[in-house]
Amino acid sequence: MSKKYWKGLPELNNSPEFQEQQKNEFAEAPPMDEFLSSSEAENSGTSRRDFLKLMGFTTAAVALAACETPVNRSIPYILKPEEITPGVANFYATTFYDGHDYANVLVKTREGRPIKIEGNDLKGIAHSGTNARVQASVLGLYDGARLRGPLLKGKEATWKTTDETTKASLSKGPIRILTSTIISPSSLAVIEEFKVKYPNTKHITYDSLSYNALTLANKNIFAKSVVSSYDFSMAKIVVGIACDFLGNWLSGEEFSKQYAKNRKVSKENPDMSQHFHFETTLSLTGANADYRYMVSPSELGKVTAALFNEVATATSNATVQANTKIENKEATQAIKKIAQKLVKHKGKSLVVSGLNDEGVQTLVNGINLMLENYGKSVDVENYLNLKQGNDSEFENLVTEMASGKVDTLITYNCNPVYTSPASLKFTEAYKKVKTKISFAQVLDETAQLADIVCPDNHYLESWGDANPEKNTYSLQQPTINQIFTQPRHEGTRQFQDSLLKWSDIKTDYLKYLQGYWNNQIFPLQGRFTDFPSFWANALHDGAIKVSIYKESTFVPIIVDSTGTPVMKGVASVFKTDSASSKPKVDLKNFVNNLKSTADLLPTSDYNLAAKKATSINGTKLELFVYEKVGIGNGNYSNNPWLIELPDPISKVTWDNYITMSPIDVKKMGINEMLRQDINGTIVELTVNGITIKAPVYPQPGQAPGTIGLAVGYGRSAETLKVANGVGVNAFPFLGMINGTIQPIATNVSINPTKETHQFAATQIQHTIMGREEFLLREVSLKEFKENDKEYWNPALELTVSGGKKNVNDVDLWAEHPRPGHKWGMSIDMNLCFGCGACVVACTSENNVAVVGKAEVAKTRDMHWLRIDRYYSSDVTKHNAQADGLLETKKMYIDMENPSANPKVTFQPMMCQHCNHAPCETVCPVLATSHSSEGLNMMTYNRCVGTRYCANNCPFKVRRFNWFNYNGNDMFADINPAQMELGRMVLNPDVVIRSRGVMEKCSMCQQKLQAGKLEAKKLGMPLKDGAVKTACQSACSTDAIIFGDLNDAESIVSKERKDERTYFLLEDVGIKPTTSYKVKVRNQDEQVIFHDQSFKKDSAHGEKHS
Amino acid sequence: MNNQVGQISIKALIALFFSVLICSNILNAQDGEKLFKQNCAVCHSAHTDQMSTGPGLKGVFDRVPKGDWITKWIINNEKLIKSGDAYATKIYAQYGKAAMTVFEGQLNEKDVEAILNYIKTPPVVVSAASGNTSADTSEPSEKTNGIDPLFLILGFIVVLIILLSSLRSVRTSLQNSNNRSEGIEEIPEQTFWKEVKAWLSGHRRLVGVFVIIISFIGMKSCWDACYNIGVYYDYKTQKGYKPEQPIKFSHKLHAGENEIACQYCHSSVEKSRHAGIPSVNICMNCHKAIQKGPQYGEKEIAKIYAANGFDPKTATYDNNIQNPLKWIKIHNLPDHVYFNHSQHVVVGKIECTTCHGNLKEMTVAEQKAPLTMKWCIECHRKTEVVMEGNAYYDRLHKALKEKYAGVQDVKFTVEKIGGLECGKCHY
Repeated sequence: MSKKYWKGLPELNNSPEFQEQQKNEFAEAPPMDEFLSSSEAENSGTSRRDFLKLMGFTTAAVALAACETPVNRSIPYILKPEEITPGVANFYATTFYDGHDYANVLVKTREGRPIKIEGNDLKGIAHSGTNARVQASVLGLYDGARLRGPLLKGKEATWKTTDETTKASLSKGPIRILTSTIISPSSLAVIEEFKVKYPNTKHITYDSLSYNALTLANKNIFAKSVVSSYDFSMAKIVVGIACDFLGNWLSGEEFSKQYAKNRKVSKENPDMSQHFHFETTLSLTGANADYRYMVSPSELGKVTAALFNEVATATSNATVQANTKIENKEATQAIKKIAQKLVKHKGKSLVVSGLNDEGVQTLVNGINLMLENYGKSVDVENYLNLKQGNDSEFENLVTEMASGKVDTLITYNCNPVYTSPASLKFTEAYKKVKTKISFAQVLDETAQLADIVCPDNHYLESWGDANPEKNTYSLQQPTINQIFTQPRHEGTRQFQDSLLKWSDIKTDYLKYLQGYWNNQIFPLQGRFTDFPSFWANALHDGAIKVSIYKESTFVPIIVDSTGTPVMKGVASVFKTDSASSKPKVDLKNFVNNLKSTADLLPTSDYNLAAKKATSINGTKLELFVYEKVGIGNGNYSNNPWLIELPDPISKVTWDNYITMSPIDVKKMGINEMLRQDINGTIVELTVNGITIKAPVYPQPGQAPGTIGLAVGYGRSAETLKVANGVGVNAFPFLGMINGTIQPIATNVSINPTKETHQFAATQIQHTIMGREEFLLREVSLKEFKENDKEYWNPALELTVSGGKKNVNDVDLWAEHPRPGHKWGMSIDMNLCFGCGACVVACTSENNVAVVGKAEVAKTRDMHWLRIDRYYSSDVTKHNAQADGLLETKKMYIDMENPSANPKVTFQPMMCQHCNHAPCETVCPVLATSHSSEGLNMMTYNRCVGTRYCANNCPFKVRRFNWFNYNGNDMFADINPAQMELGRMVLNPDVVIRSRGVMEKCSMCQQKLQAGKLEAKKLGMPLKDGAVKTACQSACSTDAIIFGDLNDAESIVSKERKDERTYFLLEDVGIKPTTSYKVKVRNQDEQVIFHDQSFKKDSAHGEKHS
Repeated sequence: MNNQVGQISIKALIALFFSVLICSNILNAQDGEKLFKQNCAVCHSAHTDQMSTGPGLKGVFDRVPKGDWITKWIINNEKLIKSGDAYATKIYAQYGKAAMTVFEGQLNEKDVEAILNYIKTPPVVVSAASGNTSADTSEPSEKTNGIDPLFLILGFIVVLIILLSSLRSVRTSLQNSNNRSEGIEEIPEQTFWKEVKAWLSGHRRLVGVFVIIISFIGMKSCWDACYNIGVYYDYKTQKGYKPEQPIKFSHKLHAGENEIACQYCHSSVEKSRHAGIPSVNICMNCHKAIQKGPQYGEKEIAKIYAANGFDPKTATYDNNIQNPLKWIKIHNLPDHVYFNHSQHVVVGKIECTTCHGNLKEMTVAEQKAPLTMKWCIECHRKTEVVMEGNAYYDRLHKALKEKYAGVQDVKFTVEKIGGLECGKCHY
């Protein structure tokens, strides 16, 4: 296999300087010479005697300081809550929803404090996947930036005066409530109650990253203003058009789970879905596609129209009139081929687009209709309630505000000053509103300008409910008492409680919620006959599925003269569909009369849609604003875990930047070639008259002639200490195009400046040292089916005296018995999409330190688990020869192209727990040793910090504590362990490592020990799956499997026997405990080239080309 | 001959009969002890007449009506009171109408009989142990009076210095006045420090001796201070850290004399890594009624009430008062060690006393085990794992038996199953 793999551009270009640098242990040499030769040292007034005096004094001072009496106190509860046992964790089911992501989660609490978020894996519960943001959300609870009480005109106030002031202003004039999508039916009812009290109120829904086009398109065709639900597990052919459905789009983790079902291949079941992707920036989804095509933002609509026409032709439907010419010839050719494949898999395919353009989404609906996917992979009947934002209503609101017609604006769960497009001029309009009320939890950009700030509770302190999709309801329950509360603070208060109070309804939200569920949700099910047991069960499970779905009209709560409810419950409406308008396509009819498809498609509407979709004129340089996998829309941009999570594609931490095709970067002559993705030239970016300065990052896979910029950074609110000053804000560059907010800007210009910017990227500092055969194995589905294992996953052999032997049979060391457990892990590279949830889960479980940008730049990141991202080029010397490009010069010119659109492989990398571990043999103090259960143990208190082990580790997974990150002032603002509140998140079962100590993945030893103890106490054998590592339980797709290899029935034992299983760097003889599974790409082209020079028996780091 | 044999066998039979009877009685009493501790000890003292929540049971059989009255009372006192039994109504009224727990369903008549047998059996008094305790109690009184000799010496030195310097200045001024009159040059006024320096250089030997004495005293006091805060453990006397607690709580009284089971207060010992310091509400289970202690009277118990705002006069709580008790932790392990009580108590079936010593004899709780890694490891080396009857160990047990097949007297100790590995305690 001599595909060329590379981690970053410096390695691809492999200049002599880069090679030289790779020989050094550190990215930068310690400045010893500079220090010694400086004249300051000679002129210094400090003499040797002074030095010794100071030294002596310091030693004495330290000795004295250590004399403090180390008395530990044990302070028991006064009244111990029954459910709390100190030292034992409790789990509570609740719902995560922040207006952007939705997840059913389990919250692990210790002594009453939430410390970890897990997916709620109760059978039958959807949306149990947790992404990086959901995993990190627990740290948000302890964010020091959270407001501790209400503010009136920026000054601290009591709730009493706040309520009085608010009520006085509410009674005046038109009130507008601006929120992100609310999926809580009871909260919507509370807003309705508010409207009863203040009839001049309007509720406007606005999502910072809009999905409005989905509802508009569904309204066009099905007369339903809803977002369809999708099932990727039903699709054998998936086509994505700028749609990051494995990352951020709609419900990324849920879609990943479905998508993964069709990516699990084995010899027994070699069927696999095929995925085609068109996009501008290299997204997580694009990186996982089998075929990926680079298209500029203005052409994305044209791709959709072209695909529509090809599918229409193939299914003998009417085509649309539109200009479908795109520059990328490869993509043009592909569209025809894709259309044929789609039609061949009618009913088993799915076309999705992430573009927020009504025209594009109407066309996509049309394509799925022609492909008969409705009711199968896409369902408009069982719709999602997520993303209900209405862009034109938001635009109208801003106009209304600007003309001074709005007296009071209430913002909840949104931050429009930060997120609204510059062209709407929201901030100016906002300042014209007389009373501005914000429910922000932190003093964000909007709250800073607000007159009244009523801080909301964190979701882990709140009651609530959610109705994410038609038939699913879930509950939110507090897992901790309010952190900010009387008497120390004025305290936070839930949004719903505030509204109820202002509506003069004297009941708290919990009672209201229970009443709502009693009247509305309880009748929808038949399992329970009394409400208390139904409620208790729903709280326990976290979510329920109902069999009946009923849309009811709102009936306000009846209150007596004192405002106390006299009726038992409340009733409200959740959704009113425009039932009056007749659907253009009657789905039921459509499915029943398959033969008459052409008649059912109203061509004129599609023509109009196609005109809209292709209306953006291409320019020389176009901007596509995207959402990063970690930070998302910026709701959690003050979260140090997320901000330090390397972007899965660029591997850059603590930054956003302008992504550009490497070819364009070269053309512009910016970013010197050596380490060009570490030092970026700062350019001036001008979009629609707004100019900002941002560094350029060359991103392979970026469409030429386009640039990308991520949202979620550039926070200007001062209290957001972690996020403030990191990156630039890209939200202003969103534009209103065709009536919706789109992340596209044309007529963009960039001007290089003389300044440069240093990126802090992980992984790309290392090289793979020409060992790709031993690290990465991949195969095309065709080769996988046609050949046996020896061809695509050959066993490594070594020539020894007496002939060839399997590398595992040649050994320096004796085997060690593993009589009890023998832990093992298997990672399926086909199922890892690189989302990074596991990295955050590991950070959270194991108290991994946050080190900050400067340290990451010095390769001192502390993540125990990283996801390596490898680029690979299809055009290599071998297939160039195969294509007849023997003429060397031409071949190398061709070889340069693939770096523009490389294939991407993700490989989660943590300690491999080698059974013959190289690190163990070099430790002079036996601080790292091997357990009888096959784990490589690290004993922190024995470590003296020689770092020999890290040097000898072939996987570079050992992390050295250069500083006392948990105590050093340098890290006080970013390290949660140093924050007054932040340290509450630490896992008390894992020790905090100090300075000068090596640390690494322990396979969640604390969880293993706890699981074993539980089994011992019960007197039962340890069940497979009873112990899960943090990364495993965070993985939505089950790419990581952990278990006991001595248990023949365990999943991991079965995975080991799979033909795709291989071990990394097996040739070195280290016998890792973790195995990987060969990546299979569903492509027809050859991936493996067994050439003459590739000899299986001469391994050991010699370079093969 | 035959007759003789017959006689002997009859005697033997009779002897056997009696011994079985006695043995069964003892057995009964031992069961009874366990049952008593689990069910009764919280409120009753078995062998004293000391009043706790309920009355002490010394001489109880003389007080109560004969027959099965007491069994009936124990099993369901409520029923007995309702039935209008005279003695039952009398004692119910006598003890402030505080109801006793109903044990119907929990204890059967046989259990009650065992408990009664236990109450009948007088406790075995170990004289050595009581000697120990008297030594223990006398110990703190040694320190209470008198001034620390170190302060005496220091005070003496300070007085000497003041005296010396004042004498010197007097001498200098006298000398100067003399000199002035005689026209000799005056001795210049010297600063205090210069004089001290001059004196020190003039008396090197004396200074040396003093320095040595002072540094010895300093070192000794450092040593004592370290001892007091539990920095080291005295292997010879098996004694360690014994700080004074905020409440003069006596394990001897509670666990020893009143025979309350350890788990009653340290309730999470079988569930969690922590044995658990009892929360104040657990103290209140008994001390709501017991408001006076035998030694300190109301003084120490009042500290519990101060913590949770209980007013003993009105028997009401003031919910605004929350003053947590700050007990001093005696058994301190370093942060980088993970220790789990439930592992050792439930799975390992280790007795509390193995590590904590006989707390029933301790007036002030004291660290009885060194808690060093060496101590842990020594125990792990020799303690056998209880594998029989625990299905978790089945596979491992089989593998180990195969591995050590043919080895004589092999013990499957904690060490053999990986209990000495770093990662088992350090993570």
